[in-house]
Amino acid sequence: MLTRRELAVKWAAYALCTLLLMFLRALLLGNTQFWGVLPFLPPVILACVASLEDSLPATVFALAFGVYCDLLLQAPFPCLYTVSFTLAALAALLSKSVLQQGFVRVLALVFLTFLIVNVFNMLFFAAHSGAALLPMLSLCVRETLVSCPLLVCYPLFLLIHRFFTV
Amino acid sequence: MKEFFEKYGLRILAIAAAAAVALSLLSFFASTSSLLHNAIGIITSPFRSAVSAVETWVEDRQRYYADYAELLEENAALKQELAELRQNERQALRDREENALLRELLKLQEQRRDFVFESAMILEHSSSNWTSTLTLNRGTNCGIAVKDCVVSAEGYLVGVVSEVGYNWATVLTVIDTDTELGALVFRTSEVAVAEGDFALMNEGRLKLSYLPESASLLSGDYIVTSGLGGYYPSNLVIGTVESVKVDDDGLAQYAVIAPMVDFDTLTEIFVIKDFTVID
Repeated sequence: MLTRRELAVKWAAYALCTLLLMFLRALLLGNTQFWGVLPFLPPVILACVASLEDSLPATVFALAFGVYCDLLLQAPFPCLYTVSFTLAALAALLSKSVLQQGFVRVLALVFLTFLIVNVFNMLFFAAHSGAALLPMLSLCVRETLVSCPLLVCYPLFLLIHRFFTV
Repeated sequence: MKEFFEKYGLRILAIAAAAAVALSLLSFFASTSSLLHNAIGIITSPFRSAVSAVETWVEDRQRYYADYAELLEENAALKQELAELRQNERQALRDREENALLRELLKLQEQRRDFVFESAMILEHSSSNWTSTLTLNRGTNCGIAVKDCVVSAEGYLVGVVSEVGYNWATVLTVIDTDTELGALVFRTSEVAVAEGDFALMNEGRLKLSYLPESASLLSGDYIVTSGLGGYYPSNLVIGTVESVKVDDDGLAQYAVIAPMVDFDTLTEIFVIKDFTVID
């Protein structure tokens, strides 16, 4: 059982790690597209934390991270990331009961998070501008697949988790 | 000896005088130095060289020790000067690039004297695949407002300011799905609406909708802003017609427009803060 101080340090470490990764992504990848899309890091970060932490702290992190993304990134509609990330953290509960902690679970969570975020995106574009389903699905699939290699950051979160757990 | 000089002195003097005159005349008319002078020079030359070398070496040593501190100072000053020159060179390169951009802009400014421009750097291109935006380093502190048009140095339309903060602004590019502009086919003056389309956005294109039934577009036709309603300035080039297609319902046609601007390579843009509305 961690003390309050240790808990604060752990979540501060997660937050710093998140900021560092966002910075590195912007620095190293910039505006580079792969398969016609930009690799999108936030859902990958959320999946990493949600796969390692308990459901309540993970949901709080998802909420805070969602707010951060909504303030910083451009989204088709307000609160997209706050809502979808919180839902994704809650949905992570399901994967935890099915899969053991490890790379497979975090990979499944990445797919789940991208699915939830992109379902919101697709619903918005279908309702707002009557966008066709096929190009949207194509974008979803490409974005998810192109972003999966960003899971190289998972060991960093695992390290922080283990440092405060062992 | 006394007897000798008394007996031959006058002769010796005459011979010596004649010899001196002869040597003088010889040295005057000869192209090289006189024989005696030359001989002395040849004999003394190695000694003079040696003395000169020693003299030079001593002087060098003296100068070396005397000037060492000065040289150190001079070296430091030269290094500083070199650094400044290099800095100036870099600045000159930047200025040259900016100058080229401003010259381009001047052409537009001469055509449209009513425009009030604010230059801005692009801080960030959109990191989402679902929107197409740019973040600028200027905001309300420079008089930028929402709905201001943004153009490239050549005067091509980049987008419209959608959000603005104190020292930042977000621009929706013309291909973003939220962009909607009154447009005009330059050749035929037909009025339509240029708008972002989800499927086309990923190809870097936009759509020209609400075309009149009689519209006769040709590939390469320039599409400019209509300026109708006074929201945006007129005659800003949006792009060129790439192809003409029919809507899914088969009732109306639309054109695919290729923007004149390459958003990925843009670094500096100009915000039109004010313009005269032409009725």
